[in-house]
Amino acid sequence: MIVIKTNNLSKLFRVYEKPAGLIGSLKSLFNNKFKDIHAVENINLEVHEGEIVGFLGPNGAGKTTTLKMLSGLLFPTNGSATVLGYVPWERPIEFRKAFSLVMGQKSQLWWDLPASDSFELHKEIYAIEPSRFKKNVGELTEIFQVANLLNKPVRELSLGERMKLELIASLLHDPKLLLLDEPTIGLDVVAQSAMHRCLYEFNKTRKITILLTSHYMRDVETLCSRILVISGGSMVYDGQLQGLKDEFGKEKLIKVQFNNLVPDQVFDKFQPLEITGNIVRLRVAKNDVPNVLAVVSQCEDVLDISIEDPPVEEVIEKLFVSHRLKKM
Amino acid sequence: MLRHLRLMFCFAKFSLLGELAFRSNFLLKILVEMIWLGILLTFFKTIFGKSSSVAGWNEHEFLFFVGAYYALEGFVETFFLENCVEFSELVRSGNLDFCLLKPIDPQFFITLRRVDWSTAPKILLGFIMIGFAMFEIGKPLELWKIPVFLILFLCGCSLAYSFLLFLTALSVWMIRNQSLMEVWWLFTNLMRYPRQIYDSEWALPIRMVFGFIIPALLAVSIPVEFAVKEINIQFTSFLFVIAVVYFFISRIFFNYSLKHYRSASS
Repeated sequence: MIVIKTNNLSKLFRVYEKPAGLIGSLKSLFNNKFKDIHAVENINLEVHEGEIVGFLGPNGAGKTTTLKMLSGLLFPTNGSATVLGYVPWERPIEFRKAFSLVMGQKSQLWWDLPASDSFELHKEIYAIEPSRFKKNVGELTEIFQVANLLNKPVRELSLGERMKLELIASLLHDPKLLLLDEPTIGLDVVAQSAMHRCLYEFNKTRKITILLTSHYMRDVETLCSRILVISGGSMVYDGQLQGLKDEFGKEKLIKVQFNNLVPDQVFDKFQPLEITGNIVRLRVAKNDVPNVLAVVSQCEDVLDISIEDPPVEEVIEKLFVSHRLKKM
Repeated sequence: MLRHLRLMFCFAKFSLLGELAFRSNFLLKILVEMIWLGILLTFFKTIFGKSSSVAGWNEHEFLFFVGAYYALEGFVETFFLENCVEFSELVRSGNLDFCLLKPIDPQFFITLRRVDWSTAPKILLGFIMIGFAMFEIGKPLELWKIPVFLILFLCGCSLAYSFLLFLTALSVWMIRNQSLMEVWWLFTNLMRYPRQIYDSEWALPIRMVFGFIIPALLAVSIPVEFAVKEINIQFTSFLFVIAVVYFFISRIFFNYSLKHYRSASS
């Protein structure tokens, strides 16, 4: 079943441009200048039930604008979309009950009250049956391991703790679709892992569809079976993460560790990235890997060898650069 | 309807819990409101120490008026004012997103989600003053007049609310809307005194603009005139009709403004 489908979805913002300085400000009182910004241009995408899709792009690429159109907060300038069978910007009540939007930088919990009170209010707003509410609160607090935090005022919680409770609030009414805008922003590695575990479990047990934007590649690598990459408002990639690595990661990173110092001149023809003591790091084309291995096999005191793909960040950056060059 | 009442109860309950988290601030706000009432009554006593009537209103009728004004202002401040003032900040910060995503009427949620309990005693005190004034007048309010007075009082509240909602909606375009409080202050100042004080010829433009176009002068005057003076059918019906019409116009305008919400960046 298709959960999200867009057809040439576009959003143009008219932005007011104010010249700098006092004179500029005074001039702008009488002569306003505007600039059109194409935040999103002709986006076509399909997301199926139960998928966890990563939505990637540099700052200002149009990720959040797309999420806001999909959640009905913004009206598109052009194109069409259906989310869970509804036109999002018509904002029917049934649609608003069927999904959740979580933004890592914004809170929907009452700041001065414990989260349990916000959950109670949520129950009334979403008209959740008392038995279902009790069951969901119990299950979710167990999955997220936050039972001891429910009665603390939200303002006294750490960012990681608050984000877990934000997620619980967004899941209480059993949404079919979860739109997450940088949910792990500012979280430490432990909190990020906990969040990944919870989202993964929730996706598996409840078949909830997740569309996630993030700048942390760990989120994407851990959770997403598929990624969408957007740059300058346009979609530049839609497919498996591995496919992207294959297409743009035509090199491998090799690390060789010796018992003693790295032998002189042996790796010079591969132009090592660095040689420090007993470790040499190389970046070579994929078809050069056998040559490196042949050289390594002739060395006597090799302790360890590892061959890795370049970091995903680097792969994605290459994609952005290539897209920018195509546009120029 | 029942669901909305339950929600209002929840908003009121959680707002009270929120207020009680900062008890001293809450009590201080109540104290300030009491001082304001003291100043208002002192001013009122001073005026009637020098004159037996103001613009055709004797002391007890005027006390009734002050009570009704105080209750009406308290009603709007308790339920709507803080929410409307906060609206421009919601627009500026993008936190309005969460209000619009909730599966309830956005106007209902945005303008009622927080109850300012510190101004709630004003409603009670206003009605106590009304009761005391009736006792002093010595002529009890006829039974049938009580529900009609309450309906007219609610029409006055609705008029003030519609005006506030209209100003609130402008925040979507203005983003920063600090003028809202200033204009609301102007509106309350026009409601504060009986409309007859603008009977002079020089005040004709004020009477026309604020009696018919933005009928702030009628919000308190007409319900009170109905209760303690001769019934003016034209003005009473006018208040009722204009309150309903303005409520729907302001609602349409508010929903129109939400369509132009641009949502601040993440």
